[in-house]
Amino acid sequence: MTPFVVMDCVLLTRMSGLPEASSLRELRERLAVCGEGVLYHHFSETLLRPSFDYPDYHNDFAVWAKLSLADSVLAERFGVLDPYFFSSLEELRGALLDIIDERLSDLPVVPTVRRGNEFYFFEADTVVFDTGDRINAPGELAPAVARMTTGSVFFHFIEARRREPFGMDDFSAWLLQFGDEAAACRTALHSIDFGFLTLAELRNEICERLTSKCR
Amino acid sequence: MKNTLLMYEVCAGSSAIRQLRMLGEKLHGRRVVHVNSTREGGGVAEILHWMVPLMRELGLDAGWEVIRGDAEFFSVTKAIHNGLQGTPVNILPSGWAAYNAVNEANADTLRPTLEDADIVVIHDPQPARLLHLCPGRKGKWVWRAHIDISHPHLPVWKTLRSVVRGYDASIFSMPQFAQRLPHRQYLVAPSIDPLSEKNRDLPAVELEAVRAQFGLDPARPLLVQISRFDRFKDPIGVIEAYRLVKKVQPVQLVLAGGGATDDPEGAAVLEEVMDAAKGDPDIHVLLLPSDAHRTVNALQRLADIVIQKSLREGFGLTVTEGMWKGKPVIGGDTGGIRRQVVDYHTGFLVNTPEGAAHRIRFLLYHREKMKSMGEKAREFVRENFLLTRHLREYLILFHSILSGSSEPRIYV
Repeated sequence: MTPFVVMDCVLLTRMSGLPEASSLRELRERLAVCGEGVLYHHFSETLLRPSFDYPDYHNDFAVWAKLSLADSVLAERFGVLDPYFFSSLEELRGALLDIIDERLSDLPVVPTVRRGNEFYFFEADTVVFDTGDRINAPGELAPAVARMTTGSVFFHFIEARRREPFGMDDFSAWLLQFGDEAAACRTALHSIDFGFLTLAELRNEICERLTSKCR
Repeated sequence: MKNTLLMYEVCAGSSAIRQLRMLGEKLHGRRVVHVNSTREGGGVAEILHWMVPLMRELGLDAGWEVIRGDAEFFSVTKAIHNGLQGTPVNILPSGWAAYNAVNEANADTLRPTLEDADIVVIHDPQPARLLHLCPGRKGKWVWRAHIDISHPHLPVWKTLRSVVRGYDASIFSMPQFAQRLPHRQYLVAPSIDPLSEKNRDLPAVELEAVRAQFGLDPARPLLVQISRFDRFKDPIGVIEAYRLVKKVQPVQLVLAGGGATDDPEGAAVLEEVMDAAKGDPDIHVLLLPSDAHRTVNALQRLADIVIQKSLREGFGLTVTEGMWKGKPVIGGDTGGIRRQVVDYHTGFLVNTPEGAAHRIRFLLYHREKMKSMGEKAREFVRENFLLTRHLREYLILFHSILSGSSEPRIYV
């Protein structure tokens, strides 16, 4: 059996080089041309960025629409976008632009923000490294997850969905080699809706589910 | 005695320290040189005093060089500093010549060290021209701007821009401060040192001594704003808010700050504040010496609610400090305060004295909520704004810049 290699990741935010957006139309213009790294950062990496953990939404566009544009309709539509439901970031970009276009056509004037509330476009450099920790059996997984950093949880449970096998977390992918013996563990992991959890909460949730299902 | 990583483990958690050790291990032996213009005094020196020893402990060959300059140089760099922060200043060609001359003189001494380093971090504008004076440099050079250059006086920025555009990367504290430059611009927020005099735990007996020293009543709620006496900190607005609260709650207010005496505007603001407070024994206006860190620490710990009702603010580290002491913060809806204060979670953002009064009353009425918000605020700082995060971000930058990769993901 192949041991599970525990990785960790940390990120540092940087300016994307795009000018900030002070209206919904400017947001649309920038989103149409920004790099995929910008989209990925504002949708997925927000969890790893030093910032407050409990916004209403995990993607920055929804947070900006709610707090800066004061457009809760738009915030709700942005907020429901799950980057992992899309087969590519380009598809996600398309969905985002469609929502903005529809909203712009609904509104009599283009919403703008007051000075100081502009949307800044970021991307991030992420450093990934091997922690040296290894997991050898399904029963070791829960205590190992409990010891992991939030960076490890992000890398193995969230970011993993962008790697092969697509859409699957690393723990579930590793458990496949144990066949039926680990089927309950995989089901338990699959049923976690991580869209509303902080990374620390997600770590606890994974541990609880595994502890009850994976021995 | 220098603080060690082990000492920070208690505050920051073992996983944060473990991450640092792993990131450091992979940079083992790399020669990193920081350069600034003063060994003592000011925020940059304060950062380097902890950062350089901790980088060494992590295995980096870290050093700190300080440039020497004459009075004319520092007068010009003060003008540059003010110009970058938006003050219209006129720096004559002779001023820039003095700036260049001091950089050249320092380059003669520092050149071998800087040209040999893997990474050179130049802090603020004073030593920025050294880059152009080290043509044989083999490493990467990073310019770290600690100041707010969101709205610079353009002639000053234009000249400085030509100096810093050749760097491999720059670091700003907030996105609003970043300027367009032809290299990567990283964002590293400020941080607090949980073991410093200003932030370490204090014995109860010391807190009580400070309470007695300033005649504070232990039986009534205490509101505290720590800040310079500056109109942008809106001390008069805080007094107005306090008065609105006092109509229904027997509260006390401390407005404490330092450094007003040598600043004509600061002295005027202090006088206005004293006038506004006149006749109310429950408003304590304290002009503290600049090294009264433990007193500030104690006042923040004695507070029920910390206030930072700024009208304009950079990052607002006093907010971070208050939150680290487990207090909810009522902060002005501006600058970096917005990054820290989240309504109903770590405090409230307000725009008016009325708004501040409303939120103060809410918190004093909902004591349990106030307590849980304070606890959440402390955890938020633990995760995001301790110096361990600051150090980690420098290490990530070093990995990124040394990798030479344009990929966003670097495996080390």
